[in-house]
Amino acid sequence: MNDPHHPPAQPSSPQPPPAPAGPGSTPPVPLEDASSQALAEALRSSFAIVKVIMVGLVLLFLGSGIFVVKPGEVAVLLRFGKPVGTGAERLLEPGWHWAWPYPIDQPVRIRVGESHTVTSTAGWHATTPELEAQNQDPPPRGFLSPEADGYTLTADGNIMHARATIKYRISDPIQYTFDFANGNEILTNVVNNALFYAAARVTADDALYKNKAAYRDLVLERVRQKVETLQLGIALEPSDVETKAPVDVREAFEQVNAAEQEKSKVMSDARGYRDEVTRKAVGEAQAILSSGLVSSNRIVSDLAAFASYFQDQLPYYRRDPRLFENRLLTTTMERVLTNAQDKFFQPERIDELRLLLSREPLKREVPATR
Amino acid sequence: MKRNTLTLLTGGVVLLIFVAMLFGYQVRKTESAVVTTFGKYSSTRSEPGLYFRLPWPIQSVHRFDNRTRNFAKKYEQTTTRDGRILMIEVYLGWRVTDPRIFLERFGGDLDRAESNLEILLRAAQNSVVGQHPLSDFISTNADELKFDDIETEMLAAIKPRAAANSGIEVVLLGIKQIGLPESITTKVFERMKAEREQLVKQFQGEGAAEAIRIRSEADYERDKILAEAERRATVIKGQADAASAAALKTFEQDPELAVFLLKLNALEQSLKERATLILDTKTPPFDLLKGQPELPAKTR
Repeated sequence: MNDPHHPPAQPSSPQPPPAPAGPGSTPPVPLEDASSQALAEALRSSFAIVKVIMVGLVLLFLGSGIFVVKPGEVAVLLRFGKPVGTGAERLLEPGWHWAWPYPIDQPVRIRVGESHTVTSTAGWHATTPELEAQNQDPPPRGFLSPEADGYTLTADGNIMHARATIKYRISDPIQYTFDFANGNEILTNVVNNALFYAAARVTADDALYKNKAAYRDLVLERVRQKVETLQLGIALEPSDVETKAPVDVREAFEQVNAAEQEKSKVMSDARGYRDEVTRKAVGEAQAILSSGLVSSNRIVSDLAAFASYFQDQLPYYRRDPRLFENRLLTTTMERVLTNAQDKFFQPERIDELRLLLSREPLKREVPATR
Repeated sequence: MKRNTLTLLTGGVVLLIFVAMLFGYQVRKTESAVVTTFGKYSSTRSEPGLYFRLPWPIQSVHRFDNRTRNFAKKYEQTTTRDGRILMIEVYLGWRVTDPRIFLERFGGDLDRAESNLEILLRAAQNSVVGQHPLSDFISTNADELKFDDIETEMLAAIKPRAAANSGIEVVLLGIKQIGLPESITTKVFERMKAEREQLVKQFQGEGAAEAIRIRSEADYERDKILAEAERRATVIKGQADAASAAALKTFEQDPELAVFLLKLNALEQSLKERATLILDTKTPPFDLLKGQPELPAKTR
């Protein structure tokens, strides 16, 4: 098969015919041709290898632009240092991506999925990891050293320890990464600032015991405002603020708490007494009223019955008053004497009668207790 | 021919990269750059992108991070307007706004720049704190507090000084912590203890007094309720007595009989239970025994 662009070379001039090969003779090979051919062959091979290497390098160069954005990350592609795209298009989502290799393009990965935490660095007493793990305080020394011990000053001029642990997510990766050299450090100082800002407007008793939530809310609100003003590009998550009385005065605070509890208990007991006495009095009053009603009803009904009896007896009485009286008196005496427990009869001849009466003691009423 | 094209292309790409690295430089989004020619200022690049330069050693590129950086001064003692000694630490955020001046002033050294900022910050802090009493920093009256104002004044004081001949802009400032000298903390502890002791006594006294008041009120209320009940019961009885007066008209027909019957009734009612009677011969029906043959006294 012939290449139409490269037709086979035709002899342009007649060549001398090769010498006839006879027995015992070898054909003569020109030495220069052989070495030239070998050199040319070697060069061709080397050049082919170099070309392969170069193609390989080019492929490697182009392939080095492949990069992966992991879950929980976004990436911004810088082309010659400038972000590619505008607005939300600038953010590359998790997955495989290709960019021109360095130095043309450069991906900047930003972790946005995970929650970050900063803890205030001012306001908390000196401690060690061991003490912290055991939730113990350093021993009291009678003073606090500004270099070693952090604390805040409260509105009433007292000293307390305060620590905030703020959680956040990166909500604007561009702002967070490209506007601040270290957003975490700035946020830490914002949190420190908030601890002192809030402490300056609450009393120690409130921040430590009575209204810890108000102090915490003040701190978090201050952090939120500052983050918004500075446009840090983060979104705050539920966070925590701790307060603690200095170990030197903690016992005094606990005594106040105990006294306050005791006051509440004493008052609660008194209120209980008031409720009991009032309920009892209401019951007794009801009983008195009921008794009054029963008594009045009895008076009325007894008198009515007696009047009826009187009316019935009146004709008999008028017929013979003396007989009537004696009959009723005798009948009544009979009943009285029958019911009487002890009866003594005194004959006329006895001039003096002495009685020794032994009465059962009256039952004592139990007085109401306070 | 095809092989030659590929070779040329490859060679061209390699050459382009080499030339680009030699004659070009990038300014990233977070940077600004100053180009100097033989050490003398040539140009400033504040926008990100690819720029031309003559190769080293003719031109040099000095890059600066133009993002906001955090810096905090040492915790130092200062005095308020009313003579109270305070420890105060202030932080600020600053960034390079004029890289040429920044390079000329500090040689591009961030530490030198921050040392200069510390001096300026100390002066601003002492000046501003000295104009405010302690009650502007801490107070139970929120209207008195000037925490934000103090920060704003410090920022206003340091901003022009930092900008002048430094190429720096202070973009934010805040109080990082406020405290007291070590010796004063001892006094504060003593005061805090004394205040707590006072509070303990106060709570104890208040509790006792309040309990007595509540109990007294309860007793008063009980007596009042019972007295009212007695009053109403008396009224009811009175009404009953008044109602029974109608029956008296019946008795008026023969008062003697009425009195007799009432006496009999009273006698029977009063001797109903556990009565001890001592009787003589005048008492009916024992008057029957009078004048009879004498009998031995018999009881029960």
